[in-house]
Amino acid sequence: MRRHRSRPANRLKRHLNASHLFITGAVVLPAYLMQPGLVVRVAQVLLFAALAHLAGKRIMWPYFVLMVASITFFNLLTPIGRVVLSLGPLQITTGALRSGLMKGFTIVGLVFVSLFSVRPDLRLPGKLGGLVARVFFYFERIIEGRKRIEARRLIDSIDDVLLELYTPGQQQSQAVFERVQTTTVGYALMVTLISVNWLLLFV
Amino acid sequence: MIRRQYEKLELIAFMGALCLFFSTIEYLFPKPFPFFRLGLANLPVLVTIKLFPPGYVLLLVLLKVLGHGLINGTLASYVFLFSSAGSFSSAAVMLAAWYLCRDRISLVGVSVFGALASNMVQIMLSVTFIFGRSAWIIAPPFMTLGAASGVAVGLFAARFCEQSRWLAVIRDYYAAP
Repeated sequence: MRRHRSRPANRLKRHLNASHLFITGAVVLPAYLMQPGLVVRVAQVLLFAALAHLAGKRIMWPYFVLMVASITFFNLLTPIGRVVLSLGPLQITTGALRSGLMKGFTIVGLVFVSLFSVRPDLRLPGKLGGLVARVFFYFERIIEGRKRIEARRLIDSIDDVLLELYTPGQQQSQAVFERVQTTTVGYALMVTLISVNWLLLFV
Repeated sequence: MIRRQYEKLELIAFMGALCLFFSTIEYLFPKPFPFFRLGLANLPVLVTIKLFPPGYVLLLVLLKVLGHGLINGTLASYVFLFSSAGSFSSAAVMLAAWYLCRDRISLVGVSVFGALASNMVQIMLSVTFIFGRSAWIIAPPFMTLGAASGVAVGLFAARFCEQSRWLAVIRDYYAAP
């Protein structure tokens, strides 16, 4: 079995509350999607990756490289435009290469935007939001009991944890959320990110 | 009656947390393909199908995909779209299989139907939105692996339903008038 690497610290959480961070991601998204330049789009993807890292997310680079490579490869199977290289039966054309790279980076960038702008303390509105909060409350409890689960008596040990955490008919305690206030640095980061991404449309 | 409904919702939230827990321990198992998932998070859904009406099962699936999207930060990306489409289609097919062939189908059968539905929808989405028509070539190995993981998850779910003391407590409580 593989060891699970720990996540980097969430440095954005000190400066931005979950709603403000989510709004930043939502406002940046249309500017990113409308960006026509491939080089600028790659730069944006790298910026979002850095932000995701600052948000404490572990980025699996091989996964994303493979993602861009496979999307580009499947696009190359439908030739468009001038042939730049022939690799056996595969003809690499400018149009297909550009369209494949553009599509691949767009998709990977969308994941990075989501990774930096969405975090578990983002409260969804209404009854559904309340239920999601309960899910996280129980999830933290289950994670605490995880170390007591043994592979040799799997069902029995899972049962021990479940019986301790949830018995029907008993009053359950309430979830408590830590509220984070957005700091001046946080607001400055929001404005900078939004302005830079929208201004890049006119470069 | 209202109290009972509140308690059922509380149990569904707990099952949602179990889905998240099982998806976090998926990394313990090696993956044959980078995009492949074993589907352990489906275990609580399979167990819930035997306990509660379809509305609660679909609510659990909604909590599962929302919770997963929030924890992993994928709520605003294509991953969320794929995960939601796969999970809801799988739940719909599993519910249909369970209610149409209740006495003639085991949890393993239900699980295999669910895994195949989820994989089929995800292949269709990836062909339509990401890779293009050429990607149909990955369908046969992807579906075969999906069926195998469906069998594994279904076998575990069936064993859990048989042996779990916790589930017996839950069943007795909700079976009582």
